[in-house]
Order: sequence, then structure tokens, then C-alpha cells
Amino acid sequence: MNNVTKEEVFQAISTVIDPEVGFNLVEMGLIYDAVIDDENNVHVTMTLSTRACPLHQMMIQWVEEAVMKHTNAASCKAEVVWEPEWSFDMADQHVKDKLNQFANRSI
Amino acid sequence: MNITRDFAPPFRLIAPFFLIGVLCYGLSMLLLFSFESTATFSQLTTVGWMHLFLLGFVMMTIFGAMAQLVPVVIEVGHAAVDFFYIIWPLLTLGTLIMVTGFFTLPVLLPYGGLLVLLSMVVFAADLFATLRRGERRSVVISSIKASNIFLLVGILSGFIMALSFGGVLEIDPQPWLQAHVYAVFGGYVLLTIMGLSMILLPMFGLSHGFNDQPILWAYRLMVGGVSIIIVGSLLSLLLLSYAGIVAVFASVVSYGYQIYLIERKRARKENDIWAKSLAIAFMSLALSLLLFSIYLLGGGERFLMSGGWFVTVGFVGFLITSHLYKIIPFLVWFERYAPLVGKQDVPMLHEMVPLREATMQMYCTAIGTGSVGIALLVHSNTLFYGGVSVLVVGGSFLLYAVYTMMHYGKEVL
Repeated sequence: MNNVTKEEVFQAISTVIDPEVGFNLVEMGLIYDAVIDDENNVHVTMTLSTRACPLHQMMIQWVEEAVMKHTNAASCKAEVVWEPEWSFDMADQHVKDKLNQFANRSI
Repeated sequence: MNITRDFAPPFRLIAPFFLIGVLCYGLSMLLLFSFESTATFSQLTTVGWMHLFLLGFVMMTIFGAMAQLVPVVIEVGHAAVDFFYIIWPLLTLGTLIMVTGFFTLPVLLPYGGLLVLLSMVVFAADLFATLRRGERRSVVISSIKASNIFLLVGILSGFIMALSFGGVLEIDPQPWLQAHVYAVFGGYVLLTIMGLSMILLPMFGLSHGFNDQPILWAYRLMVGGVSIIIVGSLLSLLLLSYAGIVAVFASVVSYGYQIYLIERKRARKENDIWAKSLAIAFMSLALSLLLFSIYLLGGGERFLMSGGWFVTVGFVGFLITSHLYKIIPFLVWFERYAPLVGKQDVPMLHEMVPLREATMQMYCTAIGTGSVGIALLVHSNTLFYGGVSVLVVGGSFLLYAVYTMMHYGKEVL
């Protein structure tokens, strides 16, 4: 079995879209790290844009399922951490540009 | 996929709260045709209208929102989520009986009041049991705790007055009235709004890194102020009541400053219907503070009426409708589309809002609210009925928008 790479894990998680903002979790900067052991067990460290996110449990579930579906991982465990706290600065530049360009768009 | 639902009660449990809430909103707008621009708070019909709006629309939607938000704030599931299945029927029936009592048959008031009291006791029982399961501590959780204690105080004082109006109990209702109004509106509605604002506004606006000291002061001042007013009213200590009113004013100003700080840090700049409705809500709050100040300085009851109108329909009303366009799509999406994530394309939440109708609702309600508020100030019936007509149109758009959002993607199931 091929070893799973961190890039593959991030690529897999980038299929998970936040339905409120419309961006994937990776470009939002919500995925902090992914550690893969010799048996291809994946441990993802992630956060959420707010501590009171009602999708908290589902986001974890989606991340784990995306990794299992799109990579050869033997298992995947996603852990939500609150340190460091997520901020808008962690998002990709195109996300920032897109959110800012809405400023003058009328409803 | 096995969906984890600890933090998200089923849609069928929460949907009635929002649906009945907007129906009561529409009914309350229609009932305004039975008033004149010279209406006062001493009329039982005015009190009846306030109960329809506050219990039927405001409390109903707040309870629905709390069913969803309490678990995510406290980070534990509800202690007794099924309680919510009996809360809305009790609250609906109690509200309708109370409103009928205020408009035509005061003898009904104790019965309606008892049902409302029961609904709130059931709500509080689940809430406090859920709070006991959680370990997190924050100003939001403190505000939820304090607001629900005030809710029980407010409803008990209201029930005592209902017994008085129904001829069961002989008391001087005046001190109880002041305690009731401040406990429910300041202690429950405003304190709950303050707590929920700290969750919802940064969440939807993606605001981070703002100073949160003002909300801490707002919380302390509101709890202290309302407590002082209740004691001052029941013991007839006028000076104490005035000190409490000043504290409540200071609390609202501090809350307004907190909102300004959150807005300044808003990363999501889109001025969508949520953001525009919120802007109208906070402009109404500022206007009501000005009108209440003029009233307290001896400006006359018309300033109290207009201020009361802007704070209830302008501030609380717009704050709630703005969030209906966020919360209802989320709940529907969660129910119908969350299981399909990863299997097929799913809509974004904003795509589920009927934009044209929602926009019409916002503009009509803003025009109507402003017109009625001015009409109450200048005692113009022409302006009053014109404003009410536009409000009814706005209410119809709201009903349509909520119905459409609730039925979005129903064929998916």
C-alpha cells in the first residue's frame, strides 16, 4: 500500500465546503496539520471559524470521511483545537479578496 | 452517512417555533388596524398587542433559536430536547388566550397566563438541566442563565397581574407592572439578545480579535439595573428605580459599542439582507434610546409610545427577521442536504433565501416601521394607517419567504 502524503490529505479535505461561506476548509485556513503514521493512520488537527459553529460535529465527520474516501488512509481521526484561534488572516488571499469584494455588492 | 445530531435538534422540532412566530408577526401587524395613532400603554388592547408580538413572535422565535444554539454554546446536548415539543403548543395557546383576554375578556387572562407560565417553566427546566451538564464558562452562558432567571421572575409577576386583571387577586398592579416589564424586556429579551449577538454576529460576519469588555459591562449593568428596578418597584423606592433605569440605559449603550467593535472587525464585508436588516435594527435601537431619554426628561407619553415602538418592532423585530434568513436555511440544509455532502452537489445557504421577497420584506417593514413610529409621535392617523398597510405587505413577504425557505428542497427527501 502506498504511503499517504500530507498533500493528499489536504487535497482530500479541500472537497469539504463550508455551506455558509462557500469556501473549502483548506482555503479558509481551518486545517492546521495532518500527521500520517507508518500504518497510514491519519490524524488531522483543525479548527472552526467560530467556537459556536452548529456544524461542529459534522465538519469533523466530513473531514474524516473525505480523507477516507479520497486517500488510502487506514483510518482518520480529526481533532478540533482552539489554540491558535482562527482568524481571517489565516485564509488564502483569494478568499480574503472574494469576501472583501462583496462590500459594495447590492442585495 | 450517520449524522451526529447532539448539537442539532431535528428540524420538525424547531420548525413550528419559526412558523408560528411569523404567523403571530403577521397577525400583530394586521391587528394594528384596530388602533389609532393616539394609542397609549394604559389601554388593555395595547398591552394585548404587545403580548401577541412579544410572546407570539419574539419569545417563540427566541425559544426556537435557543433550541438550536444552546447545545453549540454550552457544547453538550439538550438535557431534555423533547420538552420543546410541548413548549410551542403551550405558548401558542397561552398567548392566544391572553391576547383574547386583553382585547375582550379579561377573565381569560389567568388561564392564558398559566399556560404561558407553564411553557416557560418547561423551557427553563431543560435549559438549567442542560447548563448543569456543561463545563464551559463565558459571558454568553452567564447571560443565558441570568436572562432565564429574569424570565421566571417576569412571568411570575405577570401571572400575579393576570390573576389581578381576572378578578382572582386584589393587588395594586402598578409596582408589579414595572417589575414585569423590566424583568421580561430588559432582563430576558435584551439580555438574551446581548448573549446571542456575541455568538451570531461574529459567526456570520467572521469577526475576530475584537475587544469584548463592553459586553461584560453591558451584562453587569443590565443584571444590576433590572434587579434594582424590580426591588425599587416592589418596595416603592422611586430613587432606586431611577438608578436602575440609568443602569439599563448604560447597559444598552455599552452593548451598542460592542456591536460597533464587532462590525469594525467584520471580515465578511458583504452587505446582504442580514447585514442591512441589522443596520436598520441598530438604528432603531439608537432612535428608541433618544425617544426614551426625551420621555424621561418630561417629553410626554407620545415619546414613550414611539420609543417603545422602535425598540420592539424596529430593533427586536429586525434583529429577529435578519437572523431568520440565516437560521432557517441552515436548519433546512442540515435536515435535507447534510446527508448528501460528498455524494452530490448541495446548495449554499444563501441560495435558499428568496432574495426578491426578502428584500421587499425588508424595505416594506423599514418604511412601515418608520411611518408608524413618526405617526405615534405626531399623532397622525393618516400616516399611522399608511404605515400599517405597508407593514402588512412586509409581513406577507416575510410569511412567503419563511414558507419558501422551509420548503426548499423538500423533494430531496
